[in-house]
Amino acid sequence: MIKIQLVDDEANILSALRRLLKPQGWEVHTYNNVEAALGGLLEHNYAVIVSDYQMPTADGVTYLQFAKQRQPDAMRLVLSAHGDRNSMIKAINQAEVYRFLSKPWDDYEVVTAIKSAIDVYQLKVENQRLRNQVDTQKAMLRAREQELLRLESENPGITRVQRDADGSVLISDND
Amino acid sequence: MPQSNEAKSDQELLNDRLEQANRQLLQSEKLAAIGQLAAGVAHEINNPVGYVYSNLQSLENYLTDLFRLTDAVDSAESLDNLKAIKQNIDYDFVRSDLKDLLAESREGIERVKTIISAMKDFSHIEEDEFKPADLQRGIETTLNVVNNELKYKADIVKEFGDLPEIECIISQVNQVVMNLLVNAAHAIDDFGTISIRTRQETDSVVIEVEDTGSGISRENINRIFEPFYTTKPIGKGTGLGLSLSFNIIEKHGGQIEVESTPGIGTCFRITLPVRQPPPNGTE
Repeated sequence: MIKIQLVDDEANILSALRRLLKPQGWEVHTYNNVEAALGGLLEHNYAVIVSDYQMPTADGVTYLQFAKQRQPDAMRLVLSAHGDRNSMIKAINQAEVYRFLSKPWDDYEVVTAIKSAIDVYQLKVENQRLRNQVDTQKAMLRAREQELLRLESENPGITRVQRDADGSVLISDND
Repeated sequence: MPQSNEAKSDQELLNDRLEQANRQLLQSEKLAAIGQLAAGVAHEINNPVGYVYSNLQSLENYLTDLFRLTDAVDSAESLDNLKAIKQNIDYDFVRSDLKDLLAESREGIERVKTIISAMKDFSHIEEDEFKPADLQRGIETTLNVVNNELKYKADIVKEFGDLPEIECIISQVNQVVMNLLVNAAHAIDDFGTISIRTRQETDSVVIEVEDTGSGISRENINRIFEPFYTTKPIGKGTGLGLSLSFNIIEKHGGQIEVESTPGIGTCFRITLPVRQPPPNGTE
């Protein structure tokens, strides 16, 4: 199940987003303060984290920076009513956000942004899975190779024994 | 005799012009202050507009679903069909959520309304005569205007005493209070407390704005009422706020005092007379 985390100090914003995302069938977790949201990071693995920019105690960029360390794969988005240049630069350079969305938003825009963020997230996860697979396979191959080398050094020639179709050992002179 | 008359009228003329220039300066400082607040106010408005707008789109979807159900009343072959549609559109959820959706949206619109009317109250230009006014209400209005500058910097503690209506130019007093509040928020680095207190003292009233900010150093405190003196970075302050506040309070026959301890905080105290002396004073 795809999990989405929404952080905004305004409860009504969270309800509106919840309504908006409900038909998508994702598991949506909402937090109206940064501390609770941090707790959420410890319990769940999120595909996408959408945070407000201006919040008491910590701003959205600081929060997303932290989230980036905790869950580097989760895609980070900012949804802000405060679209000045500085906050955008901070969001891009420090929190490396995937999208910077502004309030008031267009429902379509938000859903599309989250969907494409999920696509990227799934690519990342899939990529990670494949890499792990390659790594395990490589390790297996290496172990096998070492085993062969060990056998060969203990019993020279043992790895080069030729066999017939029915498994019997072939002995020939031309060696 | 005629000469002295002429001289007097010259002086009066100059005085009038000075008065007019002062009024203009006051007005432009107010507009500059509002300009600086504009970004914050936009933020304050964009939040409710954001969710109300989104809620309207959700409402549209709910209604489409509900109409699908009511339209099916005519066309459906059996009751089971209708029940299936009802199930399908998550009727129970829609029904219970509609109430919240409308209540939250109404709250959002109320908030925008409050902010807009506060801005309107605040930027009132015409009035420049002394009229009995409710200071408390003025302070609440001002708080609505600057709320966005304050809420991320401080908890606001209001300790309002019982105040009579006082004779003042309320828009100008609001401007002073706004200056003090914005300054207080700027003085706070992370998060602090701003207290606003009012009380009556025989025939005057006292307004105090106290913050837990960085305080004002000894060498700066004597200069804070000087025009164009500011320690804020360029673009953050005009350096006119406190100097004009001083003029406004002086014009009201009141006093503005400051106490500050670096590292602890600052307290501004305004004392205003309840009644203004009659225009042709007895002096």
